[in-house]
Amino acid sequence: MSVRTLTVSAQIPEVRHGLAKRRIVLLTFGTIASLLIAAGVWILAAVLPSKTGSPIAPLRAICDWIYQTRTSVAIRESSYAFPLIEGIHLLGIGISVGMLCWFDLRLVGVAMTDQSVSKVWKRVMPTAFVGFIVMFITGGLLFWAEAATAYNSMDFWIKMGLLLLAGINAGYFELSTHRHAHEWDNGGILPLKARLAGAFSLLLWIAIIVTGRTMAYSF
Amino acid sequence: MMHALLPIFQWFSNSWMGLFIQRFNWVFPAIEAVHIVALTVLFGAILFVDLQLLGLMRRDTTAAKLAQELDPWVFSSLILICITGIMLFSSEALKLYGSTPFQIKMAFLFAAIIYHFTIHRWVANAKAGSLAPIWGRLAAVVSISLWLGVGLGGRAIGFF
Repeated sequence: MSVRTLTVSAQIPEVRHGLAKRRIVLLTFGTIASLLIAAGVWILAAVLPSKTGSPIAPLRAICDWIYQTRTSVAIRESSYAFPLIEGIHLLGIGISVGMLCWFDLRLVGVAMTDQSVSKVWKRVMPTAFVGFIVMFITGGLLFWAEAATAYNSMDFWIKMGLLLLAGINAGYFELSTHRHAHEWDNGGILPLKARLAGAFSLLLWIAIIVTGRTMAYSF
Repeated sequence: MMHALLPIFQWFSNSWMGLFIQRFNWVFPAIEAVHIVALTVLFGAILFVDLQLLGLMRRDTTAAKLAQELDPWVFSSLILICITGIMLFSSEALKLYGSTPFQIKMAFLFAAIIYHFTIHRWVANAKAGSLAPIWGRLAAVVSISLWLGVGLGGRAIGFF
């Protein structure tokens, strides 16, 4: 199927109806996934032995040192700095994941199906990149302020693990699967590898957001 | 004026949903997780159209086309956010009655929803060339500011 026929078919009522149905299915699935992930993190954080941290024990000294620096104390003790930085961090999520999700949903095949993958990529990525920079800077500051607390929080380590997985997923997609993107531009359903990359990315980012939230309750 | 609304806050606070969420300490974070994931989708969809209106995106499509594609996402994620939002609200309604950030958030929220489905939709769907670009930019700036107010107001509830 060419891009042209896809564009035309998206305007046919039955096809539009099909897309609406898929969107509702996806949102329901996303809700259930978020709930399950929240439950999973909750259980994982309760079951995993915290505070022993044997493989990462040397990091404890570093975290303790960070915790007592002046910047750390200043952010932590200020009544506005921490909420403000966290507000910007949340905004960073909105910009980065909020934009990235359209690319992932395009890969899965539920949004923007009338545009080619490379077009969606070029449109979405510059903004998402800015969002990721904002998120990493503010996230670093938040960690700096609560380094010792974070070290003792299982949720924090789960979140870092998930971030690593998201990075590996994105890196693998970039270096291997995305190389064939020019072959996808003539429309049709994408190869399984590409659809899986999109689905994994969506699930991992949901999990990262959820863990970030549950982490705050464990502090 | 807030005084007249007190019975509504009390009703929510005593509803079975509010009591259920209060009883188990894991329910609130779980619902909050869905709330935040859905609002990421909502914010992303709105930002996408607004960046196009601002002229910061590639010009090979129009804001109208994007809005047509993304509006169903805005609508469905907004419904999900409202459902989870009401659930969260009912679990701590009486605390929110006295919360200034909550009042600010609600003011921004109603303004943003009304704005989005009236002026913003009208400007975004305007035929290319029928409106000067400055109106699109202005509409986008107002839209981003309103939704930003909702988000930051919401975050502030937990802190102040």
